[in-house]
Amino acid sequence: MRFTLIALMAGVCYAQDGRFTFRILCAPCHGIHAEGGRGPDLTLGTFSAGDQDADLFRVISRGVPGTEMAGYSGRVTDEEIRRLVAYIRSVAHSNNEIKGNAAAGETIFWNKGGCGACHRVGTKGSSLGPDLTRVGRQRSTAYLRDSILKPDADITSGYATVTVVTHEGKKIVGVERNFDNFSAQFVDLSGKYYSFQKEDVTSMTREPRSLMPAIYGRLLNETEVNDLLAYLSSLRGTR
Amino acid sequence: MKLLVMLTGAIALAQDWTSYGKNPLGWRYSELDQINTKTVARLAPQWMYQTNVPGKNETTPLVFDGMMYVTGPSNNAWALDAMSGRPIWSYKKAPPASVSLCCGQVNRGFAVRGSTLFKVDLQGTLVALDAKSGTVLWESTLEDYKKGYSATSAPLVVKNLVVTGMAGAEYGTRGFIDAYDADTGKRVWRVFTVAEEGWPGDTWKRGGGSTWITGTYDPSLNLIYWGTGNPGPDMNGDDRRGDNLYTCSLLAIDADTGKIKWHFQFTPHDLHDWDAIGDPVLADLVIDGRAVKAVIQANRNGFFYALDRTNGKVLLSKAYTKITWADGIDGEGRPIVIAGQDPTEEGQRTCPGMGGGHNWQATAFSPMTGLYYFTSTERCMLFYKTKQEFVEGQWYQASTIGRAEPGNGRIDAIDPKTGKLAWYFETVSSPTGGMLATAGGLVFAGDAEGYLIALDARTGKALWRFQTGGTIIAPPISYALNGRQYIAVAAGQTMITFSLPK
Repeated sequence: MRFTLIALMAGVCYAQDGRFTFRILCAPCHGIHAEGGRGPDLTLGTFSAGDQDADLFRVISRGVPGTEMAGYSGRVTDEEIRRLVAYIRSVAHSNNEIKGNAAAGETIFWNKGGCGACHRVGTKGSSLGPDLTRVGRQRSTAYLRDSILKPDADITSGYATVTVVTHEGKKIVGVERNFDNFSAQFVDLSGKYYSFQKEDVTSMTREPRSLMPAIYGRLLNETEVNDLLAYLSSLRGTR
Repeated sequence: MKLLVMLTGAIALAQDWTSYGKNPLGWRYSELDQINTKTVARLAPQWMYQTNVPGKNETTPLVFDGMMYVTGPSNNAWALDAMSGRPIWSYKKAPPASVSLCCGQVNRGFAVRGSTLFKVDLQGTLVALDAKSGTVLWESTLEDYKKGYSATSAPLVVKNLVVTGMAGAEYGTRGFIDAYDADTGKRVWRVFTVAEEGWPGDTWKRGGGSTWITGTYDPSLNLIYWGTGNPGPDMNGDDRRGDNLYTCSLLAIDADTGKIKWHFQFTPHDLHDWDAIGDPVLADLVIDGRAVKAVIQANRNGFFYALDRTNGKVLLSKAYTKITWADGIDGEGRPIVIAGQDPTEEGQRTCPGMGGGHNWQATAFSPMTGLYYFTSTERCMLFYKTKQEFVEGQWYQASTIGRAEPGNGRIDAIDPKTGKLAWYFETVSSPTGGMLATAGGLVFAGDAEGYLIALDARTGKALWRFQTGGTIIAPPISYALNGRQYIAVAAGQTMITFSLPK
């Protein structure tokens, strides 16, 4: 491909130029170091829209319909888009060495870890917590490691913890489905669904913490954590 | 029906809503009181009009002669029968694919003079339409959209002039406010919001200072008040040393000549995107025992200001949100800046964030309660500067922001005589909608989750709400028809009205 050749020939300077443009156009969603945020992590080296430079060029240029990813062809030149592609290539894999065994990790996920009690992969598991079918494309391994060991480190939007105290004094805790100025809908750990209006209860609060237990640092040894990470990183969904 | 003699000299019925800020002073206060603290519990939907146009709806609809005039995203507009919601005519002009917009294909409403409507289109044009038919009467170009210029705000009619701002400070443009002859569309005056003096080299040519929120007008002083946006490039001041006048300022402009009578710069040499675009609300107040003609604004930089609108001197300033960049405002109105808050390559966390304490969302002032109502956010943000070459017509920021931190919000009621908070209504998300105050002792606002909410204007207690099913960004309005008072708001892609059951 022409783009690949250009990017390769131009080398580091080219990627460096792309870095400045990246910080302006892309960083608000993809993170200042391309580590992801509101938009996907771009340091993984694999991308939803295809893994060729031409795929990246197309996505930056035209955007992804139905998502927040806008097209930039009117805002920057083709040359600048090529620099962006070079920059994204230059950051790929920089912090993503995976040491574990994905097959062993899959066994831990569904058995010892009990992850499927709250998370879904494909059609298997529960939908209480975030769906992990494509998490290998969406999150860096560093982020995933944090999520396993310190579940409260960053809460995926829409999965905060909701607590309601009823007029009878009963306290109900669950995972947010909606939380607004007047009502809350949430699901407790047994999978039971609740919906309350604010005026019908004593209190209604939402906290940025996870209902996932912070036990995996003790439950799993380092090898098992790495295996689990290898499995999660391998989850790329279907194209 | 009560009559209100509008200060423009024209006579308008209280039942109508005929300009962006309801009156030229920008109060967004309806004299209608059928819907009040006692009756609001019975408020119910009357009709909905689904525009089927995706995008953000930021419009302030106009209502007169039984019709509602609504602008929508992507250069769409509609005339709806105000009683039934049925469409009478529509307007559409597809925007050019390459029009440069920072923040979506939005529009904030019409202006009207007699039976002629005025609106801007995204590609930086001002259009006059016949209210009866929607026929285009004239069209004038503000500036070339290929150079980064665009337009989104509702125009302001002042005597025989149609006054309009522009957008595009993110694209290396030079801001201005224009006045056009309402009959011919010929430009009468232009005032640039970026002075040629005081900027290094030719940086003033791309100095920003957008004018993207409608101003207000004081007929007794014949002055137009209009806020200006951030300097360009936005959060990187390395190439634009100095105060960067008249960005992040309020301008008082002689309506006949377009000359700047005075200016007040809220944020000299802004590095955080704190446009001075809160509605400049004109209110006569008694501050420290002295009667003053004031202009008030909750500025994006986190301070509430009351200025003397005859001369631009600061009367009062008070923080209304968490602020880490300044220790206060000095007697001359200049912020006492705290060192070390400028954006850096590695990121500097500053409060408030990029959207400021209060952003552009419409505010309201009630002469009944004497309170000023606006939405605000408690949020900090990481600000980064980087490098970028200027290319005409292209995104020119040389800076960026970090991932948004979670932040909640409030609807605030401030006593503008003291700057003190009278009450607040806490919201779970950053506020999205604008305000309406009414003689029924109510304030209305929409929220991010789609509720239209009525609060007691004196206490902030929520008295009524309705889940509309779409995020509310637009401010509500009120009008009356055949003896019934209506509340109307654009929610999601739908125009909705409410009234009391017959």
